[in-house]
Amino acid sequence: MNSRLSRFSLILLLISIFSFTGRAESDPDPDSPAPVLLGQRTRGTVLAVSGDGFLKGVPGRGETVFWPGPRNFMTLFVSNLDLLDGEGANSLRVYLYQKSGRTFELESAGLEPVEKNIFALRVRLADRDGFRGQPLADGESIIYLTWRGLVSNALKINLGREGGTIAVPDFLKNVPRAAGSADGRNLVGYRWSGDRTRFLEQATFGPSADADNRIRRIGLRTWLAEQFEAPSPAIPYPVIPQMPVTPPSNCSLTTNPVCYRDRYTMQPLQQWFFKEAFYGSDQLRQRTAWALGQIWVTSGVTVQQSSHLIAYHKILANRAFGNYRDLMADVTLNPAMGYYLDMVTSTKTNPNENYPREILQLFTIGLFRLNQDGTLQRDAQNNPVPTYDQSVVNNFSKVFTGWTYCNSAECPNAVPGIPNYVDPMKLIPENHDLTAKTLLQYPNAVNPTIPACADCTTPEQTAAYADASLNMALDNIFYHPNLPPFISRNLIQQLVTSDPSPAYVQRVADVFVNNGQNQRGDLKAVIRAILLDPEARGSVKTAPRYGKLREPVQLVTNLGRLFPARSWNGQTETDGGVASYMTKMGQTAFYPPTVFNYYPPEYIVPQTTLNAPEFQLLNTTSAIGRTNFLYTLIFEGLAPNATDSLRGTALDLGEAQSFAAADATGNQLLDYLNTKMMHGTLSAEHRAAVLTAVQAVAPTDPALRAKTAVYLLGASSQYQVQR
Amino acid sequence: MKQNRREFLVKSAGALTMTALASQARHFGLISALAQTRKSRTEAFVPSDYRALVCIFLSGGNDGNNTIVPNHNDANVSNYAAYSAARATQGLALQQSALLPVAVPRIGGLTYGLHPGFGTVAGGVNPGLHPLWATGKLAAVTNIGTLVTPTTRAQYQARSVPLPFNLFSHNDQVNQHQTCRADAVTLTGWGGRISDKITVIDNPNRLVPTISSVGGGPLFTIGETTQPLALSPAPTPLSNVLSLTGYNNTPVTNARFDALNAGMNLDGQQELIAASNNYHRQALDISRSLNNNSEVTVTFPNNDLGNQLKQVARMIKTRAVLGVTRQIFFCTLGGFDTHTAQINNQLALFAQVSQGMRAFYDEMTAQGLGDKVTQFTMSDFSRTFNPGGSGVNVGSDHAWANHSFIVGDSVIGGDFYGVNTSNGTPFPTLVQNGPDDADSGTNARGRWIPTTAVDQYAATLAKWFGLPPADTAYVFPNLGNFATTDLGFMLP
Repeated sequence: MNSRLSRFSLILLLISIFSFTGRAESDPDPDSPAPVLLGQRTRGTVLAVSGDGFLKGVPGRGETVFWPGPRNFMTLFVSNLDLLDGEGANSLRVYLYQKSGRTFELESAGLEPVEKNIFALRVRLADRDGFRGQPLADGESIIYLTWRGLVSNALKINLGREGGTIAVPDFLKNVPRAAGSADGRNLVGYRWSGDRTRFLEQATFGPSADADNRIRRIGLRTWLAEQFEAPSPAIPYPVIPQMPVTPPSNCSLTTNPVCYRDRYTMQPLQQWFFKEAFYGSDQLRQRTAWALGQIWVTSGVTVQQSSHLIAYHKILANRAFGNYRDLMADVTLNPAMGYYLDMVTSTKTNPNENYPREILQLFTIGLFRLNQDGTLQRDAQNNPVPTYDQSVVNNFSKVFTGWTYCNSAECPNAVPGIPNYVDPMKLIPENHDLTAKTLLQYPNAVNPTIPACADCTTPEQTAAYADASLNMALDNIFYHPNLPPFISRNLIQQLVTSDPSPAYVQRVADVFVNNGQNQRGDLKAVIRAILLDPEARGSVKTAPRYGKLREPVQLVTNLGRLFPARSWNGQTETDGGVASYMTKMGQTAFYPPTVFNYYPPEYIVPQTTLNAPEFQLLNTTSAIGRTNFLYTLIFEGLAPNATDSLRGTALDLGEAQSFAAADATGNQLLDYLNTKMMHGTLSAEHRAAVLTAVQAVAPTDPALRAKTAVYLLGASSQYQVQR
Repeated sequence: MKQNRREFLVKSAGALTMTALASQARHFGLISALAQTRKSRTEAFVPSDYRALVCIFLSGGNDGNNTIVPNHNDANVSNYAAYSAARATQGLALQQSALLPVAVPRIGGLTYGLHPGFGTVAGGVNPGLHPLWATGKLAAVTNIGTLVTPTTRAQYQARSVPLPFNLFSHNDQVNQHQTCRADAVTLTGWGGRISDKITVIDNPNRLVPTISSVGGGPLFTIGETTQPLALSPAPTPLSNVLSLTGYNNTPVTNARFDALNAGMNLDGQQELIAASNNYHRQALDISRSLNNNSEVTVTFPNNDLGNQLKQVARMIKTRAVLGVTRQIFFCTLGGFDTHTAQINNQLALFAQVSQGMRAFYDEMTAQGLGDKVTQFTMSDFSRTFNPGGSGVNVGSDHAWANHSFIVGDSVIGGDFYGVNTSNGTPFPTLVQNGPDDADSGTNARGRWIPTTAVDQYAATLAKWFGLPPADTAYVFPNLGNFATTDLGFMLP
């Protein structure tokens, strides 16, 4: 209690030092205990009983053989949990690994305390989704569970019969234990260095020394409050004039390629983005905006001018800490989205289905009804339940008719003869549909129907009806019960982990529904809930499926913040012209191939049951592309050229080089990089392999030693998977 | 833990199922046993020593209604006037004079028309696909789409038979074309599943996977046990597609390579890391095999699809070195989601499709493989017959049944194929709210209900390719719902 008080008062002191006006909060120990699955005394088998009833206590002996099947249940016993209020069965994920090499996830159906610190967990002996079949009754299998990203011990279980020895798979051997919190010397701030790094990987474009120091002093919660108020953007948006659809003769690709590049391609936006990611102080807002941009997709593939997508990106950044309902409204009337998904040409005689279909399917509620924890609802035949059908799309299409570019004088950015992509779209009243519409139906639905207009005799009356209809339709979507879990899960996937537990999704979705002040859709509260959740926090995560593959954009920004990005000659800052060097990695910033983004949230890695969206971008070509890009960036730098980047980009490896110079064995270099890049998780084998390569370089060349080590770690999957 | 190539291929085949796979010795035993099976089966079913399927996926949902247009005045079936009446006002009808005529024996020799993009085009490098109709190397399967089971209009409207889930949604309909599973979410494609079944028996000495994709690893190419080789398109030389930069056989770079390789074999305790490593290992391993260039002799158009097909042609030319006798390739061209501005966009896209596929056809002929390589098209869905918008903005929205093309010397070309619609021909009745429109009333915008399933189309191609009949149910589990399993457009 004393230390907590002193920590609190010191935070107050720091607040006055940094003249920060937010309210400081203390941070608890981020590390959760590792769950333990109780076993029988003999042969490492799990302690379990079949049937779907709960017992009064822990049985002295369990059963030996279990039968897989959707109607079959068994009860396991778990200890060493520290449950939050309301944290139940869906926080525990039970996995079954079989001789086929397949891993199945059994459905957790109920959790009850049975003895002090011991819970009975009832599970259905069937895979929830069954995409890759169901567990077989083929004898010995391996069972384990995860909780908050931590894996339990692995035990054996007999399915159908005894025998048939199974080997423990690599991913369950030598599981590192959670690090715990040993360092008691710092009485203020945030002392868990591994968790600090992990937090910065999730909340920013990569850990920088400055941000790490800041969090060490003020803690996560206060840092979040500070970020919510940080001025944005840190680097001013490029100011690009709106241009005619047909490039004028003084700005065509042939007559003036620089003009064409800056105005008719996304290059200025890309350059701004990478500079902001490398150097900006409003990291959390921009990281969130990038995440929202992976949901609300527009693309330079179709949208013509940088000025158009800059105006769009400003909405994402502006609303990143706002309310989701306002984001929905802003994007709906944004002309770049209007052009991308054809709302600008949608009229009552020709309503266009593109935007209405995608706002429902991709941006808000998804195709199937969800539970609040993000899992699929099922009908009596165990099939998913659609959220809407074609007629709902048709009806929303009618609502979204009549808006187009605002080229009248009332819009400040209107330029005669040029479609206005900066101001919101404006209604042409005679193009709006006036008939009745039937929208989404759900329990206690908000605005399930919109009546036909009774008094649309003047343009003003029609405009009022259209505006009211638009708001009613957006509210009809916004209050759909799918929206909180659908968007919460997607944002968790963007920031923290590809396959969050249903309990994590539910905790965040609950905050989405109500931020504590009876407000729905408060993104600040949602982001905070995502980043401070016990499944996000902790020094080490041990679950075999925890984390996410870094998409190429974030692979680059993370390295550029760990080892500060500079111009190619190191003399100044980079101009951010990075994107064009990244194409072989399969991701060009602001050019997703379709409205389905670079990767869909539901992507499953081939031959596995892993839900890991960013793997859509990984294949033989892009795998080599990643390694080759890192070679160029680290060993040679991205050389300047007139087309892509006048300054070029290189990493400042000075600190790594000084560790290399200080120790001819290379060990200090590896220690330093293990902390900095791997938050202490570098395995002994991997370290030895890298060290051998470092030692093959003459100790008189510490620069090459530093490059070698950073390249080898950066190119490894151990680094490329953010955990 | 270094591994040799063969061991690697086995591992890559199983991804995370490595531990379950046979030992190397057992694996070799399996190959030779299966190879023998294949030998006898080869004599029975497959007369040639090499066959390849090349899928060209028109991404975004190509408007079939402007791909093949009635070019006749016969009043008994939908004619040009019927077409024009529905599309001309808003500016989406093609001029009859611009249509490229094709005679259709299946419909009494009536003339239909291909979109002008399939003929001679400005800046083109060849005459396009249209002339191949007359020479019998180009065929069309009409009114084809995703189906679980044969479906009438009444059944659709009453929802009385199982329907494809999420009709009119891009990603679901793309996936259903690529999986031939309109009834379920599934994680493998029919190309990948064919590859599962024929890889070990047909390509025992393979240095590359049976299936390749130019650009990514789409669902079509994913099998239960096989993974595709992802290639980058020309102009990248084949030898540079997977080459690692920065290694020059000095002690320093050799040591670096060993460490890089070691890292890619350390899976830690993590499934995501293992999955990532799997791609890196596959890439490194194949890079050692893709080290020679066999350049094509025919001129390919220097555009997106042209460069993809050119890379495929180079791979085929290298087939002996790569040790493959059966190959499947996947190419894709985007931009067909023409909600607006369809007239100009579809013309440019068809020019690209036609020029690229024709160049590829000519190159295969030059390689002596005209009858051993078959190209075919698929797309998400067709588009509404009823236009959206007007003038330069005119486009069309997501619909259902479409038309597909097949090209090659093993194609029995110059005709329409597929199951007849209610009008007694395989071409739909072009009437909104008519007998082939899915919807009624104000929702009826000409979304034709397919009479032929993608499964039937794919199974016809797979049979020619040499998929053993015993494996048909594995690859096409819904095929039994349809009366015809071979649409007849391929020679044996």
